[in-house]
Amino acid sequence: MLELAAFGARKRVKGALALSVGLSAFSAMYAAFFPSVTEGIDLDTYIDSMPQVFVEAFGLRALGTIEGFLATELYQFAWVILLGLYIAYSAASLVASDVENDRMDVTLALPVSRARVVGEKFLELVPGILLINAIVAAVTWAATRAIGYPIGTVDLVAVHLLSLPYLFACAGIGLAFSVLVDRASIAQRAAMATVFGLFLLESIVTGTDWEWVGAIAPMRYFDPTAILVDGQYDLGAAVVLLVATAGLVAVSQWYFGRKDIN
Amino acid sequence: MATIEVSGLTKRYGDLVAVDDLSFEVSEGEVFGYLGPNGAGKTTTIRTLMGLQAPTSGSVSILGYDMAVEEERLEALQQTGYLPAHPSFDEQSTGREVLDLHESLKGGRRREELLDLFEPPLDRKIREYSTGNVQKLGIVQAFMHAPSVVVMDEPTSGLDPLLQERFNEFVHDERERGTTILFSSHVLSEVRRVCDRVAVLRDGKLVTVEDIHDLLDRSGKLVRVRVHGTVPDDAFDVPGVSDRARRETDGATNVSFTFTGDVDDLVDALDQHSLQELDVEEAPLEDVFLQFYGADAASAAGHGGANDA
Repeated sequence: MLELAAFGARKRVKGALALSVGLSAFSAMYAAFFPSVTEGIDLDTYIDSMPQVFVEAFGLRALGTIEGFLATELYQFAWVILLGLYIAYSAASLVASDVENDRMDVTLALPVSRARVVGEKFLELVPGILLINAIVAAVTWAATRAIGYPIGTVDLVAVHLLSLPYLFACAGIGLAFSVLVDRASIAQRAAMATVFGLFLLESIVTGTDWEWVGAIAPMRYFDPTAILVDGQYDLGAAVVLLVATAGLVAVSQWYFGRKDIN
Repeated sequence: MATIEVSGLTKRYGDLVAVDDLSFEVSEGEVFGYLGPNGAGKTTTIRTLMGLQAPTSGSVSILGYDMAVEEERLEALQQTGYLPAHPSFDEQSTGREVLDLHESLKGGRRREELLDLFEPPLDRKIREYSTGNVQKLGIVQAFMHAPSVVVMDEPTSGLDPLLQERFNEFVHDERERGTTILFSSHVLSEVRRVCDRVAVLRDGKLVTVEDIHDLLDRSGKLVRVRVHGTVPDDAFDVPGVSDRARRETDGATNVSFTFTGDVDDLVDALDQHSLQELDVEEAPLEDVFLQFYGADAASAAGHGGANDA
């Protein structure tokens, strides 16, 4: 078992390491800025001057604390938006690019079910996602200690652990487009547009009568600000994301199992 | 039970009928050529046979397993090798990594033996492979698990003449081993060397399934001679000659014709003249169509679409 996933995951280690370096630099940079920002600007007044939608979208709260600052600048932005989009984008090419480039023909001549091919394709992303989280968590932990504003270890671990179901859900969205569309570039654009669209939707409806509509957005179920600032871990939300991910993978497997490979 | 069985197979893409009500069987140990011009439906048949596409109607089976049903297909695939028309592998991997993956999933009992024969550069990334090297890797993966059935779509495309020769010898040896092989081609001279029987496909329909020797006897040779001086109008008018053409140039006469008769008669006829040049070659596939299936078939053969649907 998992031969295909291991084969695919090995090819992704370099990319994951490169992304980890980039995001670690991002985290370290924000940590380095924090002392001068918090001493120079009254961030609470800054938040008050922002439109409500913006405050909701980026979870702007307690910016004057290292937890609130990183929750907004690093986790809401780099994790929820950037990494979420990137993972959806990567997942969208998992199947589509193999079909587009005729590689799937050889794969499907192996005595391996189509459901297993799709399942293992999804799993090939997992080690990279874990690696990025482990590295950036370690760098953030060390960087905040280096500047003398240490972030709570448990909260930091929690925000990374609870981001996993969110990132898996983004991968699930990408995978669904990957089996639906035979051209990788179209699947990738569609997956990114969907994830970003859901982010916008959730931001716009929050606090309105239409708030229930945002329930389809994975961003609703992962709130770095609540975890880092308030120490609230919403395990139920994580379960929702895991169930949604499993659903997306299962639907992708079902659809791919019945599809003509052209 | 036939090793490969295609029964009433129809495949439509929307309004386009790619193959229409095909039926043929390949027996155990047989090398079966699947012949037709580009666009005739060869690839569609093979992809449906391998379970990559579902039949619109009819059925396809290998070793008695229905290839349209996944559980059965997986059983058949344990003992079946497949070389697609454009084999393609992960570009970032080396050939060795790809074969390791295949070995872990289906076995690789014959891997080393095949690598001695076809030698793709195993430690290079596939991104750097030439078309021929990709094809070699494709052949190795198709046979490495010692399958009893192998299906190949235009296996010699991309191979240089020397390798085509090696491949033909290889298929010949496989036949001795008892491997059942179905492969497609649009070149008659290629299949005639190694096949027991051929199916000829045209516009998605099966034109004929017959013994390769019968087909060759009927399709004949294309003969071109250049004779000193002029020759009478009825030169080379012996039984088995057809489509005779004659042209005089600079003190010589060029005569060409298709010959389906007795070789001795041909030699006798040639012996009566002083020859400058003699060419005898396999009749091109288009001529086979022209002779036996009418002008419509020949034009389909000669002007088939570029893409093999």
